[in-house]
Amino acid sequence: MILWGDGAMASVVVLAVSCALFAFAAITLWWTMHAWRTPETLAATRFATPDGSQALSFSLLVPARHEQQVLEHTVTRLLDSTHRDFEILVIVGHDDPETAAVAHRLVEAAPGRVAVVIDTHEVKNKPKALNTALPLCRGDVVGVFDAEDQVDPDLLDHVDHAFRSTRADVVQGGVQLINFHSSWYSLHNCLEYFFWFRSRLHLQASKGFIPLGGNTVFVRTRLLRDAGGWDSNCLAEDCDLGVRLSSRGAKVVVAYDSTLVTREETPDSLVGLFKQRTRWNQGFLQVLRKGEWRALPSFWQRMLARYTLTGPFMQAFSAVAVPVGVIMALFVNVPVEVAMLSFAPLMPMAATLLFQMAGLRDFGDQYKLSIGPKHYLKLIVGAFPYMLLLSAAAARAVYREWTGRNNWELTRHVGAHLTAAVPGPVAADGSAA
Amino acid sequence: VTSLAEHSEIASTQLLDTASYDTVVIPLTAAPAPAAPGRPWWRRPWLPLGALVVAILAIQAWNITGYPFASDDEGTYLAQAWAVQHGIGLAHYTYWYDHPPLGWLQLAALSWLPALFLPEHLAVATGRLAMLPVTAVSLILVHTLCRRIGFARWAALLAVVLYGLSPLSVTMQRQIYLDSFAVAWMLAAFVLALSPRRHLWHHVGAGVAVAVAVLSKETMLVVLPAVVLALLGQGTARGLRAYSAAGFTAGLVLVGVFYPVYAMLKGELLPGSGHVSLVGAWQFQLQSRSGSGTIFTAGSGANKLLHSWLYYDNVLLYGGVAATVAALFVRRLRAPALAAALLTAMAMRPGGYLPAMYVIQALPFLAIALAGVTEVVVKRLWTMDPSTYPWVRGLGRWPGRWARWAPVAALVVAAGLAVAIVVPRWYDGDSRALTASDNDRYTQAAAWMRKLPDHGGTRVVTDDVLWLDLVRAGFGREHVIWFYKLDLDPAVAKTLPDGWRDINYLVSTPAMRSDPGGLPTIVVLANHSTVVASFGTGADRIEIRQVTREGT
Repeated sequence: MILWGDGAMASVVVLAVSCALFAFAAITLWWTMHAWRTPETLAATRFATPDGSQALSFSLLVPARHEQQVLEHTVTRLLDSTHRDFEILVIVGHDDPETAAVAHRLVEAAPGRVAVVIDTHEVKNKPKALNTALPLCRGDVVGVFDAEDQVDPDLLDHVDHAFRSTRADVVQGGVQLINFHSSWYSLHNCLEYFFWFRSRLHLQASKGFIPLGGNTVFVRTRLLRDAGGWDSNCLAEDCDLGVRLSSRGAKVVVAYDSTLVTREETPDSLVGLFKQRTRWNQGFLQVLRKGEWRALPSFWQRMLARYTLTGPFMQAFSAVAVPVGVIMALFVNVPVEVAMLSFAPLMPMAATLLFQMAGLRDFGDQYKLSIGPKHYLKLIVGAFPYMLLLSAAAARAVYREWTGRNNWELTRHVGAHLTAAVPGPVAADGSAA
Repeated sequence: VTSLAEHSEIASTQLLDTASYDTVVIPLTAAPAPAAPGRPWWRRPWLPLGALVVAILAIQAWNITGYPFASDDEGTYLAQAWAVQHGIGLAHYTYWYDHPPLGWLQLAALSWLPALFLPEHLAVATGRLAMLPVTAVSLILVHTLCRRIGFARWAALLAVVLYGLSPLSVTMQRQIYLDSFAVAWMLAAFVLALSPRRHLWHHVGAGVAVAVAVLSKETMLVVLPAVVLALLGQGTARGLRAYSAAGFTAGLVLVGVFYPVYAMLKGELLPGSGHVSLVGAWQFQLQSRSGSGTIFTAGSGANKLLHSWLYYDNVLLYGGVAATVAALFVRRLRAPALAAALLTAMAMRPGGYLPAMYVIQALPFLAIALAGVTEVVVKRLWTMDPSTYPWVRGLGRWPGRWARWAPVAALVVAAGLAVAIVVPRWYDGDSRALTASDNDRYTQAAAWMRKLPDHGGTRVVTDDVLWLDLVRAGFGREHVIWFYKLDLDPAVAKTLPDGWRDINYLVSTPAMRSDPGGLPTIVVLANHSTVVASFGTGADRIEIRQVTREGT
């Protein structure tokens, strides 16, 4: 080693790191663009048109915690569903009288349709709340929604049909953050959701390993009970459930339709987003460490599991390593061919940005939102800071998991998505709804 | 452990057989079409194309070393490929960004093979064998492109014949020109942009192919709008257009940008004192390079060049340009027709510089336009039945009956005329290519030089064609000097402390003597040397002159 010059050593490092980063970024990009590969793949991601017969019954779980501002709107809208056979179980904490009051008001408005479940756990989190309600579910299928969700009335009808026509065990519907105009990071956050639910998740489902989303997810009740419900110690209980069901060979169907997606809002502050992402990343780490994915039948599924669960951390590493590699190439004395190779990982990254611009345009078309030049500018200028934010969250997740801190940091919601169809200033108290 | 199927009433009744922990895979897409029923090999669809490509390649290869006369540029590119193969760099002199390097990087990947088997022959002549696979690829891509824009089989084969057998193609595509690499990549770009699956990654590939084409020969950039038209006009589906455009742009820009990145990493992006630069080279190409006049002015460089092309083949040039104008009005032909139109317009622009091999880029597109318009006309005439027209019926019973065959008769006459016009011309042109031996002088000169004693310290000034032969013969790489580098490359001047007196031999060739620049050192060398060997006569002769050191 000592016999080598500094340049040779640097060259080997730059080459190895560049190749690895390029491969990672290229594979990720390939998978991210899954749904848009051909007109046929795009068509296959949609819900099929329902046949009109409603054969299944639904139990819809809506955990709410200090979300009195948005809960009423969410449940009222759920009650508008065209499906005839469903019940709504609102889960509130025993220490949260404001939200409980809203919930009880909703029960009075729709007795028989809505019920309130009180979660009495000392330390509260979403999986505990869901598990509290699971034994009380009477429907064939359990569906989960968050308290701030805006659900389309036709969704249940489509999900019912999807279960029957595909013989699925699990149906994951689309979730879409809508308030892209709120801030620079919300634009990126919205696009992340768009690429994930519109495209990537379909690939995960077709390959047989899927980290489920936190809501608009429907599971056959008996399967869910047999699997033991949600893991109350996991910070990404949704991801964990998907992994466990995938490992048991459950058939998961993902369907996305811009008219049927559940609309949500981005966290209302940068810190909120940072904490939320930390929680998810830490959850991914927990799922990875639990190792249930090792039960997946094929080698490639297990590789996909590893790849998916470590994805956020690889991405975090890339965001830091790629600029470092380029700077090294510029200032350390390496051959020009090696220096050129250090630019290679930038190619899929830049291509991702170009695809995001196309995605932003498509997002605007799909949701009838007016996308202007300033949004494209925000997208381009914000891309790197957003990557750094995600990297920091990933690093923090690793640190927290390492030091054994796994308390639940809740994301606060103010209802910005409820007015998102008309871009403009958002009422901080949610009264715009 | 219980079966998953138990969780679902539907599943438990219908999936009993497959009830297990294995994922039930329900194919989302239709099963692939069953394989074509056993067709005998002689009726396979690729066979006519295969036979045609082999025949065209045979004509290309026959006498490839003898005709045409080796050009200086061929020597340049082959020598630069040699420099790449030997790890010297992108050129054995300072690479000054005259052309992007991908063309001879590809050549380097191919040209080692003939050099391995035929080391004793004229390097440029045998190096031409490396162009055969490139021609093969272009022929097949022309066929694929034609089929993708809806040509009937016969029309696609007609395009291949027009493209492959035109004496202009036979002559120019034999030669070691970067344009042949560029045009193959550009054809690939069209083929990918028009992929029937409309696959996003094919569209990214189209962008990459355009980038490689342009980095093989920069003038190919002119065709870019035609590829964009093919992609966005015909190649993409609704709802996916933005993604395809983004993917195409990504492929194009992200591969293309490596050229300026290379220059930047070498500190040669911007002009500065004491080093070459990419931007400086562009400034030279765009501003300082003397134009070759317009092709419409008799006697201008461009006009002479046009006539040299027309000398080889006026059928494909005149016919192709006329067909291009017509093809612009046929929707499915529009993209290749636009390519041909852009290249033609570029050649016609006044005052620009028109390189001798430029026409290579246009040939496939002219052939496609001509074959496409022919197909449109033939189909129109074939299905036409004038006997149903009222005015024809009005002529009476017999004319009405015979009118039905009039279009077919017209077709037969037209085909006969076309054959009568084209075949004799092409026969002459192609048989010249198969029989002439224009490179004997070079071969003899190389042989003479090879026998020269004491190669070690001998300094020879020569043109680019003979350079590689002399280096292979044992002359030192630094001691064989491209004639124009003497006055233009300060690094070469440094190796000659006594100036022209350090030179022992001058190999004077037509390429050297035709250089209009009037390079001073060459003039001095010519005046202070005596002919020791001469091959050929007249303006085309090659002289080996020994330098006499006396005089000033």
